[in-house]
Amino acid sequence: MMPSKDAARGAKRRDFLKTAGAVTLGAATLGAPAIVRAQAKTLNIGLLLPKSGTLAFLGQSCQKGADIAAEVCAQLGYKVNIKLMSADFESNVDLSRARAEKLISEGAHMLVGPFDSGAAGAIAQVAEQKGVPFVINIAAAPQITEQGYKFVFRNFFTAGQLVGNGLKLMKELFVATKTQPKSAVYMHVNDTFGMANKGAIDKLYPGANLGMELKASIAYDPAARDLSVEVAKAKATGADVLMVTTRINDAILLVREMVKQRWEPMGIINPGSPGLYEQQFFATLGKYSDYCITNVAWSDPKSAVTDMAKAAWAKKFPKDPWEGNILNAGFTIEAIMICADAFQRAGSTDGKALADALRKTKIEKKIMLGGPIEFDAKGQNNNIISACLQNRSGWARVVLPSDKAERPPIFPMPGWGNRGA
Amino acid sequence: MNMLFDGLPRRALVALGLFLAVLLVAPWLVNAYILSLLVVVLYFAYAGQAWNVMMGFAGQLSLGHSLYVGLGAYAAAMMFTKFGVNPWVGLLVAVATTTAMGAIIGFLAFRFGIGGVYFAILTIAFSEFVRVGFDHWPWLGGSGGLFLPVANLSSNDLLNLRGAPIMFYYVMLAMCVAALGFCRWLLGSRLGYYWQAIRENEDAAAALGIPVFRYKMIAVMLSSAMTAFAGVFYAFYYNNLFPEQIFSMGRSIEIILGPIIGGLGTLIGPIVGAFVLTPLADGLSELLQWAGIDVPGVKQVFYGICLLLVVVFLPNGIWPMLARRLGLEREH
Repeated sequence: MMPSKDAARGAKRRDFLKTAGAVTLGAATLGAPAIVRAQAKTLNIGLLLPKSGTLAFLGQSCQKGADIAAEVCAQLGYKVNIKLMSADFESNVDLSRARAEKLISEGAHMLVGPFDSGAAGAIAQVAEQKGVPFVINIAAAPQITEQGYKFVFRNFFTAGQLVGNGLKLMKELFVATKTQPKSAVYMHVNDTFGMANKGAIDKLYPGANLGMELKASIAYDPAARDLSVEVAKAKATGADVLMVTTRINDAILLVREMVKQRWEPMGIINPGSPGLYEQQFFATLGKYSDYCITNVAWSDPKSAVTDMAKAAWAKKFPKDPWEGNILNAGFTIEAIMICADAFQRAGSTDGKALADALRKTKIEKKIMLGGPIEFDAKGQNNNIISACLQNRSGWARVVLPSDKAERPPIFPMPGWGNRGA
Repeated sequence: MNMLFDGLPRRALVALGLFLAVLLVAPWLVNAYILSLLVVVLYFAYAGQAWNVMMGFAGQLSLGHSLYVGLGAYAAAMMFTKFGVNPWVGLLVAVATTTAMGAIIGFLAFRFGIGGVYFAILTIAFSEFVRVGFDHWPWLGGSGGLFLPVANLSSNDLLNLRGAPIMFYYVMLAMCVAALGFCRWLLGSRLGYYWQAIRENEDAAAALGIPVFRYKMIAVMLSSAMTAFAGVFYAFYYNNLFPEQIFSMGRSIEIILGPIIGGLGTLIGPIVGAFVLTPLADGLSELLQWAGIDVPGVKQVFYGICLLLVVVFLPNGIWPMLARRLGLEREH
């Protein structure tokens, strides 16, 4: 007798379930306790990044930095073997905690990551509970290092430091160019990041003594397709300077609209967000991308370690320019350098010994601008400084601080019609 | 008590007892990673159960349940950080807040005859504008996030929900069991029958004299009240809240996937769904890693394919088929 249609379907279902069960069981077995103890001279670094999901591009950029970090460490003379154990937390805070547990159970001696404050907060708790040092590459929420953690170290700005440095550099820019604008208008995206920046500016601007009256703050949606109304509103304030907090697409729209409306302020200055220095911005706007200014953490163009990282990057990722990845890759390489340095001094993979060594960190040879990498009692590195970048001929160039400058700053910027063909 | 187990075949009772026994001893058998996954599984099983009350039982599609998770989380976290109120008392505030929000949404929708996809859009809209509101509320951290103080205690403090993952595991397990029992009781009550009548044919239910508006309101308010606990748990387990993450549409989708895959409108479906989806996602990660495939996003593609297969071959979800095959269906 022929099997009925339902029976045939049932058999398929059974097969499907068997297969699914086998896959799940196999996967669970693979994920089961497999504690791998490292060789004495090998440091297992668990790298937690958002390599997929909404932060994928940034996480992958960090991953590329990690991929060349061992080579940079070797060139710097660190005599340690580094084994990277990568985990993608899919831009999902819920998963970041489980992934951290997984890396630790698989033998990670230190954790590095995660380019996200929420994830950093979740991972920090696991690191603290397990006594595994966690070096944060990028995450700006100040509260992370305010919890009294003993195993958490951050080599990145807090949100307040980022904006504070940005405003300080604006003042230096006006002094260096002997130009004092009288007023400014601030345009910013109204997403989480933009509102955090707005909050910091509201708080820090009055004390920054920039000599410019802040005439208005204009918020807009980062997904906006048209900024004509917002730009017209900003233009109508008659401000000398446009301050912005942008993402990439809106930054392009904004400058396009300014060109269209022939609004030529003395300068477009970004006190600490992405957008104006990105490859896509240069590629889309061409000559109109020039002279925009961004104050942000950047690599030291006069550091030998930057040259090493740049060369290693060019060799491994010839199609992806280092300039488009400096912030993400630079801080990730430094985080791994910090781990290697601590491991070399501790001579052990014991969490407490590594954390003790981290507390005594003092790394002078480094990539990002600022003083030596060292951590305060809370685990925060306060020596990082921002660079004032100005777009020049399609590249972001350091123009301040003057001892690190690749070019002198140009301010006020030339009008849209005075930029050649 | 009898009502909870009425009509269940002995085999089903044994299976349920065994499953619960396994869950009770699981923390002692698995490593920290698997334990943290199990916590996530139970969290989604609970949240899915809460959502199932509204959609599975009463047929009201909510695509914005992250609203109640977020409100519950913020309410309890606020009470804890600003006034030193322990999370269990904070839970009462959280429940009151989410229930009130559920009542507002329900009233606006049902009073003015908004149903189906339009109701779903309304739930998304509320979730979004509450998110924007929290983004601009500096007292609760605004977009910069609200961080709960963390202490590395040597013992678990159940009263303040401070402690190791194992404590959170048992708390969530207890809540899942309680939610299952409560939902079983609801389904077997007059309320449950009214809901199912409304779900199947609202006009027919009204014609039979069921006060549709009132019972739909009860469904929305109960579901939102139950979801509040998922939020409280989230706040005290992860210890940081960002409006963009907790109120996100993605979180709402994650909550509803479990019941849909497991079996919409069934009691065990949300649990089965959660136990399939989270291990499947992580199992795929492990499998790809084992196969040496490290291409970001590949896992999501495979995950999507697996979900597609389930939806195509098991349109009613996994549990109804499983129950039928294993002879675990209720005897009528």
